[in-house]
Amino acid sequence: MRVLIQLRPSPDLVAAVAAPDLTATTADVTGDLPGVVLDHSYTPVALPRAQPAMTGGDPLSLNQPLIFSMAPEEASVLVRGEISDDESSARLALLPGRHRDVVGVYADPVIETSLTCGGTPPVGTWQDVARLLEVAQLEAEGYDGTGVALAICDTGVNAAHVTRQLGRDITIDRDRSWNPGGVSGEAGWFAVDHGTMCAFDTLIAAPRASLIDIPVLLSRRQGGTVMDGLLSDAVAAFAHLRTVLEAQPAATRALVVSNSWGSFSPLWDLAPGQPGNYSDNAAHPFNIIVGSLEQAGADILFAAGNCGTECKDRRCAYPARPIVGANSHPQVLSIGGVDTGGERVGYSSQGPGRLSDRKPDICAYTHFSGSKAFGDDAPDSGTSAACPVAAGLVAAIRTRWPASQLPPSQLRTLLHRTADDRSDVGFDYDYGYGVADTMAILGALKRRAERHRL
Amino acid sequence: MVLVTVQLPPEATLQQAMQQLGLTEDEVDTAYGLVPLDPEQGLYALRVTEDAGHRVTPAAGGPFSDPPIEPYGPPR
Repeated sequence: MRVLIQLRPSPDLVAAVAAPDLTATTADVTGDLPGVVLDHSYTPVALPRAQPAMTGGDPLSLNQPLIFSMAPEEASVLVRGEISDDESSARLALLPGRHRDVVGVYADPVIETSLTCGGTPPVGTWQDVARLLEVAQLEAEGYDGTGVALAICDTGVNAAHVTRQLGRDITIDRDRSWNPGGVSGEAGWFAVDHGTMCAFDTLIAAPRASLIDIPVLLSRRQGGTVMDGLLSDAVAAFAHLRTVLEAQPAATRALVVSNSWGSFSPLWDLAPGQPGNYSDNAAHPFNIIVGSLEQAGADILFAAGNCGTECKDRRCAYPARPIVGANSHPQVLSIGGVDTGGERVGYSSQGPGRLSDRKPDICAYTHFSGSKAFGDDAPDSGTSAACPVAAGLVAAIRTRWPASQLPPSQLRTLLHRTADDRSDVGFDYDYGYGVADTMAILGALKRRAERHRL
Repeated sequence: MVLVTVQLPPEATLQQAMQQLGLTEDEVDTAYGLVPLDPEQGLYALRVTEDAGHRVTPAAGGPFSDPPIEPYGPPR
């Protein structure tokens, strides 16, 4: 978290900062502050003291005539720094008491005029995403998804549309695809919709992966509506995927599961704290089966959601901490979104997560012109697109690194460790550990192969 | 409908689950069936009516919510 720190150093220093003909630096004003990474590129700013203009005025009220004093013994100085998101509340509260010069610590939010939001036109194309993901390098080193099963749990895939937009044949694994009860239609032959976008986006980094089509969001089971499945359908889908995984030889298991969906509202859920609750409850059946499938060797990815504070989806109804349930499960990768400029899109949900604090895990690219599933001018958007982009990268890695050699938990750690950090202090609740970085991943895998003589 | 969980031996059937919990066919989503959650722990899930869900606990786990799930995009 970026912060502004208000200091009251000696009057001489305040005078030096305020003097127009002198340039005082952060190092002149203060030494190290505990837990704060000071930004030495920021020139300290003198801040006048506001005082009531009339005798007897309320010293804490700004709703009265004020005078502002730059007298060195009254003014203060602002410097800029960053504190870890993990302990921001404690730092904000404790720092003024632990350092005699610190008067206050305030948030320094990013101010932007061009943040990518829901109505923004596409930012770049899927070819840009391929370039940013270093797909040519991945393919040159044999990481193309060959032999990797990649499940798209969504609204079903239209293979002809994906083939047309991608300009190459794709593989739908019809034998291992699965429909929830009551859903008719064949794998790869569903209407062009959200699931088709997801399938397209996985294939950017893993063009030779075998897609398993799981139209879990098409269920019309009692209690659901068209285009909304029920969580119980996802429970059944994951049970099917477990049979898929267990049918693979143990030494070469590779199953990646991409989930660009979630629950927008607490209205259909029991309240947190009740035993039957989903959003905050690791004992819910879906959260149990997610853990069980990961334990068996699957890489499970969930979109972080589109409830970012700057331009959230209007369906977002959680008042805070919108990364809920399995989307925040400690054994999944929760994926936030950045545009092809590397900036977080304003709708990408921020942490902390409800089941696991450190969410999102990492970010991947979204909001680019890609599948055209929603029209020629509409971007592949939402963390819905970021999740399959990341799933494709994971599937590419699995081409040469099955779960027996790189268990899902270790792969998650590798992605955390190699991510392009977007802050100066490691993990933060906007970007997680950072943006997935293919070259850093390849370097780490090469070192691992040398260590293990693979 | 709600979800409940039950401990059963490996390869258990829906009939066994219904018998163990004292459920009738009217109370169970038989099309959904009995879904293994964690085979190593012998833990299964089934969908039942809300009334039945409350009646069968604590012999069963739950009742757990079964909320709708929606695609996360495009952002509206």
